[in-house]
Amino acid sequence: MQLYDSAIKQTPVLAPLKGVWEKRSLLRLLVARDLTVRYKRSVIGIWWSLLNPLFTTAVMFYVFNTVFKARLPNGQAFLPYLLSGVLCMTLFNQGLTMAADSIATGAGVLTKVYVRPEIFAFSATISSAINFLFGLIPLTVVLLIFGKHPGWKTPLLLVFMTCMTLFTTGLGLLLAIAYVNFDDSRSLINIFLLALQYMTPVFYPISALGPHTQKVIHLNPLTSYLQVFRDVYGGNAVSTVHEWLMMGFTSVSVFVLGFYIFGRAWPKVVAKL
Amino acid sequence: MSIDLIVEGTDITLAYRRTRHRVSSLKQTAIDTINRRIAYENFYALNSVSFTVARGETLAVIGRNGAGKSTLLKVLARVLPPTTGRVIVRGSVAPMIELGAGFNPELTGAENIMLYGTLLGRDSKVMQSRIEAIADWAQLTEHLDIPIRAYSSGMVARLAFATATDVTPDLLLIDEVLSVGDEDFQARSKARTAEMIKSGCAVVLVTHDLATVESMATRALYLDHGTMRAIGTPEEVIDTYHADLR
Repeated sequence: MQLYDSAIKQTPVLAPLKGVWEKRSLLRLLVARDLTVRYKRSVIGIWWSLLNPLFTTAVMFYVFNTVFKARLPNGQAFLPYLLSGVLCMTLFNQGLTMAADSIATGAGVLTKVYVRPEIFAFSATISSAINFLFGLIPLTVVLLIFGKHPGWKTPLLLVFMTCMTLFTTGLGLLLAIAYVNFDDSRSLINIFLLALQYMTPVFYPISALGPHTQKVIHLNPLTSYLQVFRDVYGGNAVSTVHEWLMMGFTSVSVFVLGFYIFGRAWPKVVAKL
Repeated sequence: MSIDLIVEGTDITLAYRRTRHRVSSLKQTAIDTINRRIAYENFYALNSVSFTVARGETLAVIGRNGAGKSTLLKVLARVLPPTTGRVIVRGSVAPMIELGAGFNPELTGAENIMLYGTLLGRDSKVMQSRIEAIADWAQLTEHLDIPIRAYSSGMVARLAFATATDVTPDLLLIDEVLSVGDEDFQARSKARTAEMIKSGCAVVLVTHDLATVESMATRALYLDHGTMRAIGTPEEVIDTYHADLR
């Protein structure tokens, strides 16, 4: 028999995780809902969701390759490098903002039915990961055009995607607290995200920077995620052990921290929804 | 004996620290912090509310708007954790608080039954096998495969009610939902609710309709500004409420 006793203290992080695991069939339905709404009911659904990253890539390619005549070292092709960068940043941005929004948009349910709110953040990041997989189609085409192929490291893509999902879920939950408490936090966060984007080597090679700037860029965890992704899918960069460790460490620690702080803040957050 | 108590609430208190000016922007918070103008006050949505509901009992919660009635239901639905005090709920809960929360207009009727039922904590495999029966009760069998944005509001209400009441829970929470849809649906939904109560579940009912309280409730609780003003038989409590209104 189910028993709810408000006096029983819940273990931070572990209790919400267990709650999400027990409701994984709900998680699957929520992801299916997101994907159905986006793809199934419209023929151009998949292409529509790819339009943004592809168009961004086209604009950036024109600006940096044609206007500024930027060249990567050793004659490396620019387009696969750029497209993989844009796709990785789209995965991060989309996962993060959708996860952060999921709590406010789920308010109708969360204030009436007992469900772990973390499930909503998870469904957002998992749907963006599936979107990201669709984005690999044009990237593969570009790779083949430039005489490359995804390479034998492709299975490691799963590690990258898992880390990114944990990272954006944790960070998204933290942002969700800010979104609910302050109406204007969204615009401030967008500025911050833009700065972060420029601090990630999406359209420039790290080697083009001075030694001091290089250090700063390496402190940005997203640099590690991006370099790992470029390495495992298409070999557009060489990733280092440091970058893999950075990715693994930040994903787990941000995820745990996000679950911990969100769990503590939840009673106050739900009262404001 | 205590096994038959579905709900045990002891000194349930729900307090918010809220700012006097309801600031909700970072800019305003920053300005107010610099000027040291943030004044907090404690607001008690519920203040030391204690009651029990046994199997087969129907407790009606009455009171003016903003007295904390809906808040109390949300505490029982496990949505809002009490600040102090203790709530124990034994068994499954069906919250009929604003039916159809979680419906997505782009999904079909069948997909929404699955999603809503699973949100309410039911097993998704069981839900799959119940779709037909639910649609049948809601008289929506022919419309199951179209997105519910094409439904009328009455159809949506029927689908939501049929899904929410598909299983008999141990505790049924009702927040003024019996007054939707046309006459036929109202009659059928009332009959179904009465059936659920008869089958032995405990009910907590929030309503402004005192006639419903007298006809359905076995006990009543009168909330005023978050505190318990009276608890007892519906007649006594309604008398106290009437005396206060005058």
